[in-house]
Amino acid sequence: MGEKKYVMGNFAITRGAVESGVQVAAGYPGTPSTEILEGFAEYQGIHAEWSCNEKVALEVALGASLSNVRSMAVMKHNGTNVSTDLLMHLNFTGISGGLVVISADDPAGHSSQNEEDSRILVHTYANLPVFDPSNAIEAKSMVKDAYELSEKTEMCFILRPVMRVCHSRAVIPFEDYDEASFPKAQWRDDRDRYIMSGVEVPELGGIKRPQARHRWLNNKYKELQELFEGSPYNHVEDGEGNIGLVGCGIGYTYIKEAAGMLGKKYPILKLCTLPIPKKKILGFLQDKEKVIVFEELEPVVENLIKQLCQENRIPMEVLGRSGFYPPDGELTAQMVLDAVKKADPEVKVIEEFQPRKIDIEIPVRTRTQCVGCSYRSLLYNVKRIARRYKGIVFGDIGCHDAGSFKPLELQSTIYCMGASVGMATGAFFAGEKRPVFSIIGDSTFFHLGLNGLINASYQNGKQVVVLCDNATTAMTGFQPHAGSGINLYGESAKKVDLNKFGEAIGVSVHHVDPYDNKRTYETLKEAVQEEGVSLVISSRACYLKGSREGIKFFEPREVHVDQERCNGCMVCINDFGCPALIYEADNKKVHIDELTCVHCAMCAVVCKRGAIS
Amino acid sequence: MKKDILIAGVGGQGSLFATNVLCQYALERGLNVLGTETIGAAQRGGSVVSHMRISDQPIYSPLVPPGRGDVLLGMESIEFLRNIKILARNGYYILNLYSLPTVYTNLGIDRYPSEDEIVAAVKEACEKGYIIPATVKAAELGNTQMTNVVMLGVLGKVDDFFEYSEVKKIVEKISPKKFLKENLMAYEAGRELV
Ligand code: SF4
Ligand code: SF4
Ligand code: SF4
Repeated sequence: MGEKKYVMGNFAITRGAVESGVQVAAGYPGTPSTEILEGFAEYQGIHAEWSCNEKVALEVALGASLSNVRSMAVMKHNGTNVSTDLLMHLNFTGISGGLVVISADDPAGHSSQNEEDSRILVHTYANLPVFDPSNAIEAKSMVKDAYELSEKTEMCFILRPVMRVCHSRAVIPFEDYDEASFPKAQWRDDRDRYIMSGVEVPELGGIKRPQARHRWLNNKYKELQELFEGSPYNHVEDGEGNIGLVGCGIGYTYIKEAAGMLGKKYPILKLCTLPIPKKKILGFLQDKEKVIVFEELEPVVENLIKQLCQENRIPMEVLGRSGFYPPDGELTAQMVLDAVKKADPEVKVIEEFQPRKIDIEIPVRTRTQCVGCSYRSLLYNVKRIARRYKGIVFGDIGCHDAGSFKPLELQSTIYCMGASVGMATGAFFAGEKRPVFSIIGDSTFFHLGLNGLINASYQNGKQVVVLCDNATTAMTGFQPHAGSGINLYGESAKKVDLNKFGEAIGVSVHHVDPYDNKRTYETLKEAVQEEGVSLVISSRACYLKGSREGIKFFEPREVHVDQERCNGCMVCINDFGCPALIYEADNKKVHIDELTCVHCAMCAVVCKRGAIS
Repeated sequence: MKKDILIAGVGGQGSLFATNVLCQYALERGLNVLGTETIGAAQRGGSVVSHMRISDQPIYSPLVPPGRGDVLLGMESIEFLRNIKILARNGYYILNLYSLPTVYTNLGIDRYPSEDEIVAAVKEACEKGYIIPATVKAAELGNTQMTNVVMLGVLGKVDDFFEYSEVKKIVEKISPKKFLKENLMAYEAGRELV
């Protein structure tokens, strides 16, 4: 029999997949989902890969599934957006070997550029079945059930864990599994399903295949509704009164937390599946006047219950995310308490929360590049050039994006993966007279940036693309990519030759060593004066990763600020901004914090008064 | 019984070892444990909070709700202040008096409060707790990364639930060989701070 381990929710999901016999797992790093795929590296005999982007990952997983083995695609909500086109086809074709997609949401956007509820894409839009786990143990068990049901129904299943489930730590049962029992790859043609095209289907009166498959999906949806009536993930807990609380996924845990502080026991309906079990819900609604639905992040289940009430002519107040409590951000136990009090003013709250008074201004903390990171001197030089030529800098996602915050405020935009290059092209063709720049990291470039670059070149645009090549996906914890030369297992792998790539698509390629201040500046200056698209590749490994591995980046040098010479102009902070440089408001001078400085000496070139040496 | 603990600090300061020790301690006593952490970007310097909940009853949410925390461990002064709302009326704190400036305080946009102001504000807001120089102590012992182990030593000393010698056994058990001696020294040093 197996053992129990205290692990992160993400590893519980990995383990669930391994015990289910997953043979192929593919994904792209993104908080909060990253560790799920990393977890596969520990297991033999499974092909796990960091794909170039999430759509590719889903294609890989689908190809494996149609080859009759179990597979998994792992992504965060933004990645689900990227793979939507494929989702909108595989929902029509169905699958062969069990296929589970993990679409991890980050309500409140703790580590994201936006917040969204991917249940809308995968369920409301693609009509696929969804498990919304309330905790890590449930997530693991759902993964295992999802594989069984996926094969039984021929449907791709989605697990939608939110960040608090992914990043929770709990005691998880590790069960044994028998590798010999897992099916081997065996392709079988099934042209009526796998060839998605507008051909006629004579047996259905000549309607086109897309419509025929849509009909299939609609029937499947009904079948799933029936199936989930008996799901162990939906249940009712009795209580008193005519107000019911509905908890979806993590929402259920906040209800249970709040229940301990309420002077009355409310009936609870836990709902962790989509489609919703209609009969079970109708049963719960029977003696109720109001229900409050707690879910992250949009009123998905709330709207489904409203629809159900309307279909059945049930007069019911269905309250929730649509305006009864805050329609954005994460849920909390306090939000549940507040909502319950609003719906039931009579209720007593045991031990009402009284905030402590704290009489002090607390400064905010933003992230920035690590001390010693080569991006700092790169951005410093891009800022100098952009200032000199009045450039507009389009930003992308990655460690360099911190250059868009104070003090640098270099990039003017941050949207989604790879958007910088295309947006710069658009500004150029809009007739913007100022030169346009884009800054993009290598992992983002391989994800969805290269299409934009090919397009920029093809359209005869003009821009300087600064490619920050640190040979890894640093922000999410150093996952390799197509330019790293290694794969997920750390084994050597093919590496894209960016030079040849640039040449092949007709852009002018430059290289800089960002630690070489002068050459970096000169190269950027050359690039901005060129016709056409210039690709400036700044190649230096991630300092944080590299220094842990013992790589030497520079000759360390003791650096000090001469307090006599420093006149407090703050150029070193505003244009460069190493966190080890500290401005002392009292004497209006800068000094270096010895505990944090790594002696890279990059700041020495920044001070035009020669105070840093 | 229940023990809701929150550890607040800055990315790169390291608190994972301490949470692992406390968790192991609770598990060995047959208690339920549930935790969560905000893991920001790999880059250093963002706010980091880990929640750890121990109970003999089922635990539902991994988040300690505001006003319900039994122990607030502050690895850095303003991160501690930022999370003070978590502390229950009868809860207590252990604050490592240590200031890591922010980008904005370096820039002179925000002001980092002085140690005196911090101490005064903390004493005003909370009844029970300990203010200690754990990072200074860890640096004396040769490695600021041991701050969290020093704080563990304080916890073992002041909290009846965490038996000093039992926690020490776990520190011994789960320390990587390379850091075993250092960690034990840091743990002992914590006890002497209070
Ligand atoms: S993680 Fe690496 S690339 Fe990112 S800021 Fe730190 S050193 Fe730079
Ligand atoms: S060190 Fe130089 S750049 Fe920085 S504030 Fe002083 S004079 Fe200005
Ligand atoms: S030498 Fe200058 S730039 Fe480098 S870490 Fe120290 S203060 Fe920062």
